[in-house]
Amino acid sequence: MAEVKPGKKTRTRTRARLLPTGVADSVGMILALCALTAIFGLKAKHFFELKTFQTIANQIPDAVVISVGVTFVLIIGGIDLSVGSVLALCSAVMGAVLLRTEMPLPVAVLACVITGLACGSINGLLISGLKLPAFIVTLGMMEIARGATYMITGSRTAYIGSRVEVIAEQSLFGLSLPFLTALAVASAGQFALSRTVFGRHALAVGANEQAARYSGIGARKVKWMVYALCGALSGVAAVINCARLGSADPNAGTGFELQAIAAVVIGGTSLMGGRGSVVGTFLGVCIIAVLGAGLAQIGAQESTKRFITGCVIIAAVILDYYRRRLRASSGAA
Amino acid sequence: MLKFRSSKPVLVCIAVICASVAGCKKRDPAAPSAAQPASKPTIALVMKSLANEFFLTMENGARDHQKLHAAEYDLIANGIKDEQDVSRQVALVEQMIAQRVDAIVIAPADSKALVPVCKRAMDDGIAVVNIDNKFDSGALAEKKAKIPFVGPDNRKGARLAGEYLAKKLKAGDPVAIIEGAPNAFNGIQRKLGFEDAMNAAGMKIVTSQTGYWEMDKANQVASSILTEHPQLKAILCANDSMALGAAAALRAAGRQDSVIVVGFDNISAVQQLMKEGKVLCTVDQHADKLAVFGIEYALEMLKTRAAPEDRETQVDLITPDTLK
Repeated sequence: MAEVKPGKKTRTRTRARLLPTGVADSVGMILALCALTAIFGLKAKHFFELKTFQTIANQIPDAVVISVGVTFVLIIGGIDLSVGSVLALCSAVMGAVLLRTEMPLPVAVLACVITGLACGSINGLLISGLKLPAFIVTLGMMEIARGATYMITGSRTAYIGSRVEVIAEQSLFGLSLPFLTALAVASAGQFALSRTVFGRHALAVGANEQAARYSGIGARKVKWMVYALCGALSGVAAVINCARLGSADPNAGTGFELQAIAAVVIGGTSLMGGRGSVVGTFLGVCIIAVLGAGLAQIGAQESTKRFITGCVIIAAVILDYYRRRLRASSGAA
Repeated sequence: MLKFRSSKPVLVCIAVICASVAGCKKRDPAAPSAAQPASKPTIALVMKSLANEFFLTMENGARDHQKLHAAEYDLIANGIKDEQDVSRQVALVEQMIAQRVDAIVIAPADSKALVPVCKRAMDDGIAVVNIDNKFDSGALAEKKAKIPFVGPDNRKGARLAGEYLAKKLKAGDPVAIIEGAPNAFNGIQRKLGFEDAMNAAGMKIVTSQTGYWEMDKANQVASSILTEHPQLKAILCANDSMALGAAAALRAAGRQDSVIVVGFDNISAVQQLMKEGKVLCTVDQHADKLAVFGIEYALEMLKTRAAPEDRETQVDLITPDTLK
């Protein structure tokens, strides 16, 4: 907010526009998060402890980074089903670079992110250039990336060990490097969305592509950039995933795409495009992670876990719907 | 102009499809039996997920065996995309029946759902051998089918690993189990084997949850279990991928020295961890030979036409000492 020009009128207008996508929308989710934490705190013996939250903070960074990418894709009214497979491909590339060549870690990380960027760019080119449906293109990429992963790894889990684990071991102020990366990506994402031309254009393209194009926005370029960004973020998430597990798993990220979409939608981003919040996405990931950790800690049956997770996803979306209607009616008055 | 624009992607697609088909052709030596002399049987190997290292090893073992015995039989090997894709596997068996193969060696994705289609194959005079994941005896009885099972005793293997672990612990120590997919027979057998050993040694199993055979899921479940049970002494995992995930969770929690991890399958990645002392032991059921045992058994059946009996294959405990 610091860089808003002085003058009362501008400031209030900016705040009115900024807050809804940022903090105000998140109140409901924060309450839901607190409620979940309270319930598990009562049910499990050791849930309400620092250790639990450290564990969760250790688990979510890759999901956060990917979900930020998916948030932008949903905002422009698209979809990306390939993120999980691209993550696996990127970690396979990283494993291959580290294990088969004597290249240092930064080179491997770079190769990993570039692989993601390349996959995302191909998606973007096909979708924006040839006007192919995003669902089919990314479905195809999902299969291609998974197949390429199996080719590179020979379907074998590659154990990398301490060479990649150092990434997860770095920390600052008690927060691990992956978690800080995730926070940085989420903050940058929210900033880009609400404060930059790119973000404005993405929202405009998602709301009404034709109108955006008539008003002089390069809709194709915006779409291409968003898919490329999403791919690159899958690459970043792959680095984090590799560092956490100490290995490159060819089956990594299976089902990640749906989990990410669920987190993004819980966070209040519209599946139809044109509206979204990265802060909301971050909280959405937290809700799913707290739920997963809590249910595992109380040792719930698998059937119960799935049932409850489904219910929470739907409840979160219902809540979001009513809150939005409430605000829309009060805003109109 | 419009016509040209729309034909471009089509051309690209055709080129891509041609290239990919050409690239794949040599991987699939699916020769129809009609082209071969009548004396040489065709055996179809129907596998589970070829994405899993374990099944890939199994398939490669079978392919190598076929190359050595090319005069004796032809092999058609097929797998499904993921381990849960039951309907695709049923379709594969149907295709093999239509191909008029002489025998089918199958690692069923589901121990019940594949019984009817295998029974149909038998009615067509095809010899069927069951490997890896044993058919449910109730489902077999209901269909009046007798399909021989050639494979390891997973329960026994898991018990071996559990007994080895028990020597490192003392009675009453809390332990946790990370199970395979809940509907898999071999996963259930491994869990039972772990339980046999732990109960016999007087350990306390504080929780048993599924990791769906996957590293990342097991990592998340193990992390939560570690937080909830600060006294935990060991985690027994129904496969090695999940053991890798559990070992990563220990590292993140800084408890490598107080908690022991046990795996199953003896994949190459876990051997490295065993040498580093991060995993205690695993179980080898000789994946490379499993399909071969099934194929040899099918060849025997085709020759003798004898009433099929189950045959148990070897399972071995692998510790850092046996690796040296």
